[in-house]
This record gives sequence, structure tokens and C-alpha cells, in this order.
Amino acid sequence: MQGCFFMNQFRKERNKFIILMLMPATILLVGLTLFPFIVSLILSFTDYSLLRPGQTKFIFLNNYIELMKTDEFWIALRVTVVFTVLAVFIQVVLGVVFATLLHNENSNVSLLRTLYLLPLAITPIAATFTFRLMFNPSLGVLNYFMKLLGLEPQAWLASPNTAMISLIIVDTWQWTPFILLICLGGLASLPTEPFEAAKVDGASSWQIFTKITVPMLYPFIGLALLFRSIDAFKTFDIIYVLTSGGPGILTRTLNLYAFKHGIEYLSMGYAGSIAIVMLIITIVVAQIFLRKNKLLLPKDTLKR
Amino acid sequence: MKKKYINHLPPIKQLNLTRRHFVKATSALAGAGILSSYGLPLYAASNVDEMIKMYEGANIDWQSQKGSSIVLSGLEHPWMSSIEPLLPHFKKLTGIDVQVQKQSESEYVAEVPVKLGAGNPTPDVYMVWSYGQAANAGWLESLDQHFDNPDLFDKNWYDLDDIFSSARSFPIWNDGESYVMSITAEAQTMFANQNMLDAVGEGVPTTFDELLSTGKKLKSGDVAGVAMRSKADGTAGSWPGGGFVFSNGGVIIQDGKCMLDSPEAIEAIHYYGTILKEAGPLGVGNYHWYECLNDYMQEVCAIGMDSSNFATDIENPEKSNAAGHTTYGAMVSGPGKQAKPNMWHWMAGINSKSQQKAAAFLFLTWANSKPTCLMSSALGLATTRTSAWESDGFKSAFGKQAATAALTNLQNADGKIMKDCWFHPQSGEILTPFGIAINEVVTGTKSAEKAMTEATAKINKAIGA
Repeated sequence: MQGCFFMNQFRKERNKFIILMLMPATILLVGLTLFPFIVSLILSFTDYSLLRPGQTKFIFLNNYIELMKTDEFWIALRVTVVFTVLAVFIQVVLGVVFATLLHNENSNVSLLRTLYLLPLAITPIAATFTFRLMFNPSLGVLNYFMKLLGLEPQAWLASPNTAMISLIIVDTWQWTPFILLICLGGLASLPTEPFEAAKVDGASSWQIFTKITVPMLYPFIGLALLFRSIDAFKTFDIIYVLTSGGPGILTRTLNLYAFKHGIEYLSMGYAGSIAIVMLIITIVVAQIFLRKNKLLLPKDTLKR
Repeated sequence: MKKKYINHLPPIKQLNLTRRHFVKATSALAGAGILSSYGLPLYAASNVDEMIKMYEGANIDWQSQKGSSIVLSGLEHPWMSSIEPLLPHFKKLTGIDVQVQKQSESEYVAEVPVKLGAGNPTPDVYMVWSYGQAANAGWLESLDQHFDNPDLFDKNWYDLDDIFSSARSFPIWNDGESYVMSITAEAQTMFANQNMLDAVGEGVPTTFDELLSTGKKLKSGDVAGVAMRSKADGTAGSWPGGGFVFSNGGVIIQDGKCMLDSPEAIEAIHYYGTILKEAGPLGVGNYHWYECLNDYMQEVCAIGMDSSNFATDIENPEKSNAAGHTTYGAMVSGPGKQAKPNMWHWMAGINSKSQQKAAAFLFLTWANSKPTCLMSSALGLATTRTSAWESDGFKSAFGKQAATAALTNLQNADGKIMKDCWFHPQSGEILTPFGIAINEVVTGTKSAEKAMTEATAKINKAIGA
């Protein structure tokens, strides 16, 4: 009886402790994520514009209906998807390859690892402005090298043929190290026996890479892919600084489209609906990806 | 009363400062230790007491708001750069402390509307990026009541006649009230590298066709003939492109309707695109004003056509290789048409939610007064005052020929057709599709007719025309 009393006391104390420990994170989550989300959601059902203070009214789904009927939304969605898929694909391939090559314990490799991770440590906007100078068609270093090699200089950011490629180059330079970092961590945690057994059986390096390294690394690659896809889908700074969505609207993504309506046109309700659509797309795609690949389930569950 | 004297002021030609007035003003400033022997202002703290004497002639109670503090918000701009060093003088004169908040243009335009829209009482005074947006949203205090307050304003001392007529009419909103003061003056002006023109035996072009043919002659492997803004942005090609439309007999907005699909506007933008495609630098489709200015100053471009304010940088030999051999000219025009360059006055106003409106108005009056403009113009700031434009300090910093060309272009500009578009409450929704259409023409994505027709439909839908 007395033991039961102490158990109850212990449970109560433990629950208090858990609640206390979770409190700061919960407050932050509610204040910085949940509250803005709810406000955005409510705004998206209104015609709220900073230009018409005090005249806001609920228009229910009108913003969403208007959005679906607008060509510019579908063009921006297509641009966003193309940018995300191409950029993330290239980054994952390069990240996995570099991580495998660098997964070798000696002092030179450790220096290389640090160098490869440097882009992650550089302030994105500073790097983007540097790239803008490098892409400058008349004074930039890229065209200088093109001329040295006897090639035609390019209008990197202004031509419909090269603008998207240029943006992907900058994004890849900046974010491949992120994939590299996750894959390096994954490789370090893998057991060594399968690799040693494969070597004893006479497997080539390519066979080891494709048949053992990549499958065993898959949970790590999957998570890196998910994180990067969500982030690439929301890319703003690189595109805003380098092309502003041009030429025409060929590189205008959904985030830039929302910015135009919210900050330049001050139509907060309409911009809110774009942001909510982006959120829905992100959640749906992420959930499908996670469920299909069972990435977040414990290994025992996978076996069942 | 005030509206009367604002609306019936004489045109700019009658506003030239007489030699007697100019000598009197500059002598007084020089005597007060504000102007050095080179006509440049001296900002040393030791001059503050002397400088204050220049403002004592005003029948204004400068100390009426002593002890208050105001927030001045603006963007990285020559006006802010020239006013900031003078703020200790203002504090000594009025006892008002001014806190400065300065941001890049893109940050400023993104942040200030949100602050004002949320009803924030600061900034008290701010540079107005879009008069239409700010006035329509109720973010600006009407200045008329303050103009009529004898404790805060002395119209004889302030000398409204000294201010350009366009700068006086610019702030008058469609309800007849003035919510801002014009603080700078600029007009679309051509700047051409004279050495390069001489090398191909050409003069300064005066028409679209001449600009195209001269630009093509000037273009070589390393040097572009002509560079003008055309980035896919509402703040880029729309301003110089607007000048092309006006100078070909077109308009952007008329009776609340977009007219960019008119034959005049389509032809003007076709010229704009053709000139840049055939004589422009590689990648001109991503050029904003800083790329145009930079290329011109580095002598990798022979002709530019943008803000007259560029002259201060172009004539600075520390920044520019083109200093000393640039010819400034009038805006080019379409076949048989009259040149109507685009123009602009930056404006500053008072936040309608400010708790320090009287102090804020005193600041605006001081900042736009004759002595302050004379000092800031010596740093090359193109103010709105004739006396400042006529001063030796300004001519030295800005260049005499550049000042003459800018004044001519200001006089040729048609403020009304410009205001119909740029002062529209939904100016962003007009200028962005227009800027994108110009970019599409320059990059060859669309023909002028298709781009302008599509942009017009988009704009008319957005503004409900």
C-alpha cells in the first residue's frame, strides 16, 4: 500500500519534470510556428490588404479559387518543382559520391572534408552576392575563363537558356556539403563486416558502392533528400538576388510569387493563400515519401 | 490658404535665383563658416553655433519641441548620406534628437510598409517609396495644417518660390492635401562617353533611331553601345522604359486604365528592346541601375540613359574612368515626337501614427530649407531648390553641363503622366508586369506586341479597369 503511494508520488513528480522540460520548446513552437501558421491560415480566407486598412472581409475560399485559375501560379509551381528536383538530385548524387570518396581515415582527407564543408559555413547572402559578381557578363570571372578557353561568353543570369542552370549551380555549391555531412555521418555508423566480406569475395569498388554502400546508406540519404527537398522548395534568397524571377518569369518560384503579392502588392490575404498551398504541398509530399520508404519506423517494424 | 499658394506658384523658368540672392546666400553661409573656400560645407562641431544663425532669420519657434526625440527612416540614398552629417546642427538648433534607421532599398521597401500597416508610431519621418500606397493606406500625416501653423512654418523665410514647380506640385495628392515634401529632383538623362563618340565620328543621339544606329557603331567586342535597365522587376526597366513610352506619344495609365497596348507604347518598347538587343551588353536582361552605372563608369559601355543623379558618381575620378569626358544630353524621342523624359522626386513624410508630429514637421522644414539644401547640394545632392542647383558647390560636385542637362530634362518632363502611374495606389501591380514585359522583349522571350498586350491585360485585371 505504502509502495503504491510512493509510486504515485514518483509518477506525479516525473510528469511534472517532463512538462517542465517540454515547456520552453512548446512555448517556442507555439509562438514561432503554430501562431504564425494560424494567423496565415485565417488571413488566407480574407481579402486583407495593407492598402485598405479596416476594410478586411472574409471571402472564404476565393483566394484559393483565384489562385488555381491563375496561369502565373501554375508557372511558378512548375518552376519550383523543376528547380527542386534538379537541384536536389544533383546535390544528392554529388554528396553521396564525395562522402564515399572522403570516407577514408587519413590526415589529408580530414583537411579535404573541412574544405568541402566550408560553403555551409558562409553566410548565404554574402555567397550569393559574390556569385552575382562572378556571373556578371562583362566584368565577371566566369566569362573571363570562358574567353580564356576560347568559348563564347554567356549571359548567365539573363538568358532563358542559362538562368535556371546558374541558379542550380549556386544552390548546389551551397548545399551539397549538407548531404555530404549527413552521408559521412551515416558511413561512419555502418558496420565494417559487409565491406570486408565483399572485399574477401573479390567485389570491385563499383560493386561495393552500388550493392553495399548505397543500400546501407539509404536511410541517411532518404532523410537528407527530404530535408533538402523541403528547403529547396522554399528557396528565396538566391533567386531574389540573382534573377528576381527573370528572364520574364522563367525562374519565378512560388516563394517569390508569394513575396510579390505580400510585400510588393501588400495583398496579405492572397499571399497567405500561396503560403498555405506551399505548406500543404510540402506536407503531402513529405508524408508520402516517409510512408513509402518507412524511413522513420524502427528497424523491427520494417522486418514485420 | 496654403493650397492657394501651392497651386498658383510660377513655373520653373520664373524661379531662377537671382545672382544677388545667390551671392547673398552663399556669402552668408561662407561668412558663417559653413562653406569652405571651395564652396564645400564644413561639418566640424565648431561651426554649429555659426551655422545656427542662418536659421534664426526664420519666424519659427525652433525650440518649441526641445527635448523630444524622433526616428528618421530611410534607405541607402544620397539624401540620407547628406542629411546625416548635418543632424548635430539640427539638434543644436531645435533640441530635438534624431535617431536614424537606414536600410538597403529592398530591405526598406519590404519592412517599412509592414511596420506602418501595423500602426507603429515609428518611424516619425520616413522616405516615401510609393506615395500612392502610403497615402491611400493612411500612413501619412497631412502637412497642410502644419504649413498653416505660424510656430512651425514661416513661408517667407522658407521661400517656396525657390523650389522647382514640379517638386511643389508633386506632393499634392488627389484630395488636394499635401502629405509629403519633395526632397530630391532627378530626370531621365543621357550620358555619353565623348571620347568613344569622337572615335566613331558620331554626335549625341537625339532620336530612338539615332540611338540605335550610334549604339550599334559604338558596340565592339569589349564595349557595349548602350546600357539601360531591363531586369525582370518593377523597379528596373519600367522607369527608363516609361520615359521611352512618354517620348513616343504614349502613356502608361490614362483615366484609370492601362494603355501599354497602344501602338505608341508598343513601338517605344520595341525600340527599347531592339536598341538593347543590338547595341546592349551581353546579359543586359539582368541589368538594374547599378549595373548600368558600373559598366558606364568602367568604360565598358558608351551610352547610358538613367537618373541625372548618376552625374555625381560619373564625375568622381576616384570611382569613374569616364570622369571629365562625359557629355550629358536630353532624352531621345520617337519619330516626330517630343521628348518627355521620366522624372522623379524622392519624398519624405510624417507617419500619421507618430507621437511627435510637430517635431517631425520641424525636421522636414529644416531638411528642405534653403541653408540645409545649399550644404547638402555641395556634396552633389540634387535637391529641389533652384538656389542649390545654381551654387558653385553643387556645380563643382555634380558638373555644370550635367546640371544644365538635368534641368532641361526636368523641364521637359510631364509630371502628370508620370504621376498617373507611379502614384497609383496599386503602382506595384502596374510596374511589375510592365518591368517583366520589358525584360521579355529585351531577352527575346516575346515580341513587344505580345509582351505589352499581355501585360496590359494583367494590369487592367489587377487594378479593376
